[in-house]
Amino acid sequence: MVALLGRGNELITLDDVSKRYPNGTDALRDVDLEIDSGDFVFLVGSSGAGKSSLIRLLIREELPSSGRVWVDGQDVVRMRRSAVPKLRRRVGVVFQDFKLLPRKTVAENVGFALLVTGHSGEEAREETERALSLVGLSQRRGHFPDQLSGGEKQRTAIARALVSRPKILIADEPTGNLDPVTSWEIIKLLVRVNELGTTMVMATHNAEIVNALRRRVVHLDHGMVVRDEREGQYAA
Amino acid sequence: MRRLEYVATTAAQGFWRNPVMSLASTFTVGLMLLLFAFFLATDRGLQAAVNVLESKVELAAFLEDDARVSDVLALRARIEADPAVSKVDYITKEQAMARLVDIASRRPDIQIVDTSSNPLQNSLEIKLAHAQDAPRVTAALRDEVGGGVVSDVVDNPQVVDKLLTITRVLSFGGLAVLAMMLVVALFVIVNTIRIAVHARRDEIEIMKLVGATDWFVRLPFILEGMLVGALGAVAATAVVLVAAGPVMNAMVSFIEILPLSFGQTFVWQLVGSVFALALAVGGGGAMLSVRSHLAK
Repeated sequence: MVALLGRGNELITLDDVSKRYPNGTDALRDVDLEIDSGDFVFLVGSSGAGKSSLIRLLIREELPSSGRVWVDGQDVVRMRRSAVPKLRRRVGVVFQDFKLLPRKTVAENVGFALLVTGHSGEEAREETERALSLVGLSQRRGHFPDQLSGGEKQRTAIARALVSRPKILIADEPTGNLDPVTSWEIIKLLVRVNELGTTMVMATHNAEIVNALRRRVVHLDHGMVVRDEREGQYAA
Repeated sequence: MRRLEYVATTAAQGFWRNPVMSLASTFTVGLMLLLFAFFLATDRGLQAAVNVLESKVELAAFLEDDARVSDVLALRARIEADPAVSKVDYITKEQAMARLVDIASRRPDIQIVDTSSNPLQNSLEIKLAHAQDAPRVTAALRDEVGGGVVSDVVDNPQVVDKLLTITRVLSFGGLAVLAMMLVVALFVIVNTIRIAVHARRDEIEIMKLVGATDWFVRLPFILEGMLVGALGAVAATAVVLVAAGPVMNAMVSFIEILPLSFGQTFVWQLVGSVFALALAVGGGGAMLSVRSHLAK
């Protein structure tokens, strides 16, 4: 059991969390996990180990079958439905398939996240420029997704996730569709984002990257945390 | 302002990106609204006719020649005490004869050959506030026959009865047809918006991921539904305004009751009702459609 009051620096806390889907699959079993503000955490494990289920709980796309989930001081399980949008503005998410809108330019895709959450056009433009500059895409702001390389698409998605200045950035297999060189560029970018103060949670299968970075590694297997190391390796 | 612009632009895009379904919805809603407008106008016309005829509804209680004045006055007081009665007039047999002579002088088909004797009776003429009370009041008066005061009771509310029946049938029939059209219009709008939601499912997914509120996601679709409704209302109103004159003339000659014409106030009420129903059906249908999608 994780003490709910903890040490006071946790940004994410999972307390005895289990998730069983209606078809009977146990995606997570008795997971206890604390992630501190500023951490860079790799979630590793084979397909079906529970990485994506854990991520879905953090952004309240799913609710646990039992246990408690706290994100940035808020009880995600007991949170009202109307409070979910505010939670998601504090938690940026990046996916393997980028999820960009094909009919919007790079800048429009990024600014979209602010416009649909009630920010003014001026504010959206300023923050979009800042985010594009951070990911190195200022020169490509007028391009459409089909005019971009895979790495550029993922950087656009990262810029969109960062544009609302979230405390946490969750990346679900962000390099899964990228070649090794581009994957490294994305990882370097995510490390930089982390150094600027954003807490990183990244689910990955990429052993080379995990082993090279030597950050905290949480290994999931059949829904259980089987290993949690400060400077971990992909496989023990 | 930017949010409003986003919502409005997205709604308009949704309408035009799926023109076949959007126009089919508009047509269906327009048809329903046309029926609604026709129903309202007909109902209003018949109500007016009923009101006019109701104001003319009279019963006559003919009095025995030898009835005592005190009994007649008592009867009159009893009748006047009934809330359904608006007015009671005492008509002497001389006044009745004078009236008959007057009518005969204006009607070539009636001729009074001998006015030396007066076979008419004194009577109480009773005006009713509402035609539907006529049977009850008539029955109460008929109970008085044989009591030495009232000799006979005459009522003639048949025209009003018929008109009331027509109004009731039209009201129920019209409401039933309107309800069916409402269901059809809702069904078409729900499906139109469902297609729009499906076409923008990626956008909705991202909106929800980045923290847009449910209302922000819903609004463009609701506005699109209302746009469909409003366009249907414009079409229905145009048809009503163009066709109102000829249809009214046809109705007047068909029903042959009163040369009815609707005032400016009613026309605005009609247009307002049509638009209110259109927006409610459009927006409500869209709400139904997106609610299930957002619940996921």
